[in-house]
Amino acid sequence: MVEHKFIQSSGFRNVGPEGAREGFEVRIRLPNYRGMRMSLFDGVDVTVDGETFSYEQNAIRLRDQVFDLAALREAADVRWEPFEWASVVVPKRGGLTPGIHHVAVCARVRSPYFPPKFQPSFVRDERLATIVLP
Amino acid sequence: MAGQFKYGVSLYSFTDDFGSVMNIEDGFDHVADTGATGIEILGETHVAGYPKPTTQWVDNWFGLLEKHKLEPTNMCSWVDTRLRLSRSLTVEEGAAELERDLNLAHLLGFKFLRPKFGVVTHDLVPDPIWEPAVERVLDLAHKYDIVICPEIHSPTPIKHPVTDAYIDFIERTGTRHFGLLIDTGIFQDRPLPFWPQETPEIRATDLAFLDGIKVNPEEFLDIAKYVVFIQAKFHKINDKLEDENIPWPKVISALKRAGYAGYLSSEYEGRRDPWVAIDQVRRQHVILRQLEKDFDEGRLA
Repeated sequence: MVEHKFIQSSGFRNVGPEGAREGFEVRIRLPNYRGMRMSLFDGVDVTVDGETFSYEQNAIRLRDQVFDLAALREAADVRWEPFEWASVVVPKRGGLTPGIHHVAVCARVRSPYFPPKFQPSFVRDERLATIVLP
Repeated sequence: MAGQFKYGVSLYSFTDDFGSVMNIEDGFDHVADTGATGIEILGETHVAGYPKPTTQWVDNWFGLLEKHKLEPTNMCSWVDTRLRLSRSLTVEEGAAELERDLNLAHLLGFKFLRPKFGVVTHDLVPDPIWEPAVERVLDLAHKYDIVICPEIHSPTPIKHPVTDAYIDFIERTGTRHFGLLIDTGIFQDRPLPFWPQETPEIRATDLAFLDGIKVNPEEFLDIAKYVVFIQAKFHKINDKLEDENIPWPKVISALKRAGYAGYLSSEYEGRRDPWVAIDQVRRQHVILRQLEKDFDEGRLA
């Protein structure tokens, strides 16, 4: 099961080779009340300690696949189910230092049954989260 | 002689709890313990492996229905016309979405299917492929004896071209496998709390419908013959057992006078703090049952 809140405690970690980190990941639960085909998901902005990383540059990792924004927008055959988390993969040379960071995310979700002016809609959350390993 | 309501609960009520602090077995328990006889689900949310659950999952589904003495009522589905930014669905693709969900609804024993179509305007006019897509699957719906029932849902009021178009479709085809689902949120007459980051300016303009579109419950009588299912949408019932947004006495009175004898399926849509929904749904069932009793015994005009 996932944690009740949107940004998960685990899964917040650096990625890339040790000593030469390429970025970090933030794990999130499904930003929707219904399971979602990935083409309805339009990426996530991530802000850590005041520095914002745009949804256009972040990738999404779901199970064993990684999607950049263009791939996400065409992934009509891939489903994200409510019990599963996904990770936002953020490029940042060196990654983040171990310790507590302020993390905010804004997930962009397209719900075709919402009026056009609410496309996309936004799911936001913020919290303190912890990087353990450098 | 007024009909008797049937009482149900939609697992949508437990959004955010489901998948984090509640699984499907828990959900069944919470629904059954209200005294409800029917359970409503969202196919894409509550069916593991949607749209093709395993046989083990399906066996478990029927085992839970039997254990808790519940019947499947409505399954909610979507026709995501803007599935991709790059293009809308064709009529064939829309019909395929409906067929996929009719097959699943039939597998799981549902009698109603609520498709939510993508829309093209602020007041929720559906993508025009809805009509030819539905027409292509009417025979399948008839074969399964499932009634396809799109919603009349805020901000769309009853008196609106969207409703008229659905009624025209019913009259034109003569089908008994397409009807209206009424979401009682259309009767909301008091404002919801502000969403995070919402300002008074936003509430006055883009999100004005969150103050309630205040459809007069009497208008239900004009369309009652087409209504096949009701989602009892609500947001908050306080500790004095008062609903702070939906005028239930007027709503129940209109439904009873119209002779409605179908399901009232609870859809809690208030604060999503863990486990709050469970008791909110129980409170709603107290109110609904009391009002029906009041009407039947002559205390509710």
